[in-house]
Amino acid sequence: MIIKRSILVLAALLIAAGLSPKPAQASPYEGYTYSYWGEAVQSPIAYLPSKTVTGQELGIGQWTAPNDIFAAPDGNLYVLDSGNGRIVVLDSQWKAVRQIQSFQNNGKQDAFKNPEGIFVTADGHIYVADTENRRVVELDGSGVFVREIGAPKSEVISDNFEYFPRKVIVDKAGRIYVVARGVFDGIIEFDSDGGFTGFMGTNRVQFDPVDLFWKTVSTKEQREKLIRFVPIEFNNLDVDTDGFIYTTTADKQTSAPVKRLNPSGIDVLRVNGNIGPVGDLSINRSAFIDIDVSGNGVYRTLDSTRGRIFTYNEDGNLLYVIGQLGNQAGTFKNPVAIESFENRILVLDRDLGRITEFTATKFGSLVGEANGLYSIGKHDEAAKLWEEVLRLDANYEMAYIGIGKSMLRQGEYKQAMNYLKLGNDREYYSKALTKYRREYMREYFGTYMTACIALILAIFAVRRGLRLRKGGLKQDAVS
Amino acid sequence: MRFLKEARYSLHVAFHPFDGFWDLKYENKGKLRIALVILFAVTVTMILKRQYAGYVVNFNHPLELNSIDELKYIVLPFLLWCIANWSLTTLMDGEGKFKEIVIATGYAMLPLILVYLPNMLLSNVITLREASFYYLLESAAAIWFMWLLFVGTMTIHQYTVTKTIFTMLLTVVVMGVIIFLGLLFFSLIQQIVSFVYTIYQELSLRS
Repeated sequence: MIIKRSILVLAALLIAAGLSPKPAQASPYEGYTYSYWGEAVQSPIAYLPSKTVTGQELGIGQWTAPNDIFAAPDGNLYVLDSGNGRIVVLDSQWKAVRQIQSFQNNGKQDAFKNPEGIFVTADGHIYVADTENRRVVELDGSGVFVREIGAPKSEVISDNFEYFPRKVIVDKAGRIYVVARGVFDGIIEFDSDGGFTGFMGTNRVQFDPVDLFWKTVSTKEQREKLIRFVPIEFNNLDVDTDGFIYTTTADKQTSAPVKRLNPSGIDVLRVNGNIGPVGDLSINRSAFIDIDVSGNGVYRTLDSTRGRIFTYNEDGNLLYVIGQLGNQAGTFKNPVAIESFENRILVLDRDLGRITEFTATKFGSLVGEANGLYSIGKHDEAAKLWEEVLRLDANYEMAYIGIGKSMLRQGEYKQAMNYLKLGNDREYYSKALTKYRREYMREYFGTYMTACIALILAIFAVRRGLRLRKGGLKQDAVS
Repeated sequence: MRFLKEARYSLHVAFHPFDGFWDLKYENKGKLRIALVILFAVTVTMILKRQYAGYVVNFNHPLELNSIDELKYIVLPFLLWCIANWSLTTLMDGEGKFKEIVIATGYAMLPLILVYLPNMLLSNVITLREASFYYLLESAAAIWFMWLLFVGTMTIHQYTVTKTIFTMLLTVVVMGVIIFLGLLFFSLIQQIVSFVYTIYQELSLRS
């Protein structure tokens, strides 16, 4: 009887368990970050795919091999449909507002030929890297031709130089920066009038002692057959609100695939710890093909090896990873461009001609908000959010560091040490330890000194007592 | 009480190596059990150090700490050193017996305990800026150990200075050779075992 009943109860429980709600939202990829030790640690998913759009769905015909997108500050999204040589403008509701297929250039009908990069300035002017026409074209907000900027002319450029501009950005001062195919000297910089001013931010040639050895022992003929040592070319770039230029290189050997160039072309990217923003820490390295700078110094890089998006904060700490190559909605076949707008991330897939939109989950927006406060130094406000982050992910090291720093400022040195140790921040742990040590000594110095003096006195007294007794015994022996 | 006296002699060796190692060999003052106790104590010290050295200077991944590993890092090199040194010095007119080599090497390791233990305690209260002091003491211990090992080897085998240095370097090479032979031996054994097992499998499946 009891057995029967317990079986019934068990069956009922199993059914109830089966009916209980499924995990909140199934995701086509897993969320993770890297710990201080370089181990991949599971973490909640920060962004989930919310919707996708293709040219057919908009009723304007398929996008063929679109190469770039640009999210303008007014909410419009510019899609560079390279195969069809047109620009498609979508509004924030993702309705096709207008298309730019051709323009009047000095009275002649002109069009793009396989353009690869697009940039829209704050006042709505569109810059297109018109790759196979070997020029950069500027159009105004309504699609009317303004000017074109051809190949840079200078004595430093060799005569057989073939100019294929791939990506273009414009900074606040109107300077135009172009990344061109096969240019190893860096980013091509034009002034606001379109005159060539020079190259900036050259990638250094990597020095390899093994190569050097072979070079010294090989004959002249052999040496000529070796691959020439050239710096790696940039493949994409973005500009932040302060005018710093972020660049990526797809090279899998470099330890610094991301650079943050200041106006004079010097890399000022902050790197925390030993590992820079390199993506996945595996033998098959990530190859970054696009970078997007969002607010508070946060930047996202798009990796073509595994189709992942790595989000870093301004200190170079990995915040979260999303995306993957695959066939489901929310995964990519050949991702080429990334943009972000407010709390959304947009990724363009060239092979599928599709844009995928990702929206922040609770975890993603918490991390974003906390990191925002953290980066402007509001550690105490950030600490409250970091605590919520920890409730969702107890392995999130950034959160421990954030709380630790806040406690350090509040004078809770012992607690701060605990948190900073959990977050593996030796530098700030050491700072907390210095403060704690001083506080501890101030409090207990008197006690310890009293104990010390008492101990010394006691030792003296005992030794003296012993000596007296010994002396006494000796005297006894003598007498 | 006798054990304590013997243990105190190891301190004498550490601070007066020439005198100490001489007596150790010719007055029979060195005891094998003391050397083994020191070896054990060094192993324990290293285990403690890995776990309890201050966070500022401790770069060990807590999940990867394994006390058994210390056998690999301390006991195995110790044995290899003794064997390699003995095999070499018997061919090179060394006067030391194997037991004496073990004792001398064991006694030479005493500074590691003497410095590492207090240093470990100290490391818990130092900051990043003072960490260089920790590393200084750490290297001082290592140099002290090398010095004792050098004097020990020289006295045990009655070598000249240059010959001692040469022998010590050669010993390291021989240690590498022994490891190589060991690996070779194990890999061959492994292949023989798998070969026999395959034949057995083949036969049992066919019948």
